[in-house]
Amino acid sequence: MNSLERVTAAVGFGKPDRVPVIAQILGHAAKVAGIPLVNYIRNGETLAACQLKALERYKYDAVFAATDTSVETEAVGSVLTYKDEAYPFVKQFILKDKNGIENLNLPDPYKDGRMPELIKAAGILRREVADEVLVAGVVMGPMTVSSQLIGMEKALFMAMDHPESFERLLDFSADVSIKFGLAQIEAGAHLALVFDPSASPAVIPPQFFREFILSRHTRVFSELKQGGSAANWLHIAGPVDDILSYYPEAGVDIANFDYCVDPSTALEKLPKTCLDGNIKPLSFVDAASREIAAESDRLLELFGSGEGFILSSGCEIPPESKQENVAAMVSAVRRGGA
Amino acid sequence: MKQKISEQQARDSQSLDRLQELILDGDQAESVTEAKKLCAAGVDKQQIVTKGIEEAMKKLDAKCTVEQFSLLEIMLAGRAVTAVIKELFEDSTPPQTKGCVVLASLEGDVHDLGKNIVKTILTAHGYRVVDCGKDCSLEKLVDSAAQEKALAIGVSGLITSVAPLVRKILPMVKERGLENIKILAGGAALKQATSESLNVDYVSENVFVGVDYINLNVAEVQ
Repeated sequence: MNSLERVTAAVGFGKPDRVPVIAQILGHAAKVAGIPLVNYIRNGETLAACQLKALERYKYDAVFAATDTSVETEAVGSVLTYKDEAYPFVKQFILKDKNGIENLNLPDPYKDGRMPELIKAAGILRREVADEVLVAGVVMGPMTVSSQLIGMEKALFMAMDHPESFERLLDFSADVSIKFGLAQIEAGAHLALVFDPSASPAVIPPQFFREFILSRHTRVFSELKQGGSAANWLHIAGPVDDILSYYPEAGVDIANFDYCVDPSTALEKLPKTCLDGNIKPLSFVDAASREIAAESDRLLELFGSGEGFILSSGCEIPPESKQENVAAMVSAVRRGGA
Repeated sequence: MKQKISEQQARDSQSLDRLQELILDGDQAESVTEAKKLCAAGVDKQQIVTKGIEEAMKKLDAKCTVEQFSLLEIMLAGRAVTAVIKELFEDSTPPQTKGCVVLASLEGDVHDLGKNIVKTILTAHGYRVVDCGKDCSLEKLVDSAAQEKALAIGVSGLITSVAPLVRKILPMVKERGLENIKILAGGAALKQATSESLNVDYVSENVFVGVDYINLNVAEVQ
């Protein structure tokens, strides 16, 4: 089996030849290539070259045409600050209050901000790995796009004080996610992972997720599937225990779960959804490789042969992670776990 | 006469209970209205802080200990508390405080929502908080702690790359002979680490256990 076939088998609860392993590597790929992070962030060709170098170094089962969480808001009009060795952040939000929502324009993924660079990266990666390795694009989910357009605090207070305006903002944000995701798929990505950390129960209560977010996730995933996405992959960081049961309703095929979620709970709540997780991200920076290997073995033992499971980190592997730690996770699946 | 006083005390107590409920509900406008009523009834402002706001914070802490809780719920309660304190005290700080805590998000980290929540909750618990802001240098943080005679320093981190900076705080504080200052870390990235690996006194899982730590351990220093 090649990597794409292996991941496809795991997602469909078939029988992969081994457990797939996907290291959620974005900026770390720049470190592997030995170039400044900012070059990776701003240039699609460089990003793709770094991803391919990391794939060659680690030999895992997916590459990512992806960078930071500010791509969408920049394309809509927010102003970012860039630094050489850090992900950019919003210096000036495009939206100041609820009155500006009607004036927001949907970005053109082929023209605005860095979206064209990421589309270029998706195209290069697909050309290079064809259907051997999974090419994953990434879009921010509706709650994260909203909070990146106006700021988290204002977004949350708007939800409480002016729910109708907030829903309009969420709908606009969902449209951004869909448009950008479809463009990535059209360019060559097999799927567009939806990353929505602001929808985490650490930020909003499960009831808020059900009332405001669920229907938007459902719409985003429905559109992406219709646009050719190989699978609907949802990544919400943090303690997602109490919202996992909503994922099937949203059409999720792959559910990321973070380090703070008990794998048994995830299994119990999502028996028919492929899970990916959940090694603690910071441990790739500060733990010894034998600890990563032991944690990988523990997960492999729990999940068995890889039907409905992808070994991964709980969230992004930090850029400054030790290479031997990433390698230790990948090695675990090759030797078949414990 | 005695009966009249006790009736008044009972009414005040009910109003303070009501203020607690409104704060816990995150109802900013009604919380302020209730605080105004208490002031008009002659209830001492400091009593409104200790019996109203601080008690509400204890209840929120207890609720968050047994239930899943989110930033939103704390932010709404925090907003109500801030509005009440602003109503009670012109400079937004109660005159009597338990001491100063200096907060920051360190250089390279521009996320400050968590830090702002800690600021609100510490203020509600009777501390004076000096906020060094986000993207803050270590020098500015330690200078502020020294100038303000801080009891504790709190750093919040949402990105893992600030961990090496956090490790440097303790040596810098010791160099200035300020080793009594407790150093706390928290936030989504930093709470994945141990206090030993971050070289701090305490890694806080959430705002409430952090405040508990300060209440218990700073009191020893005082």
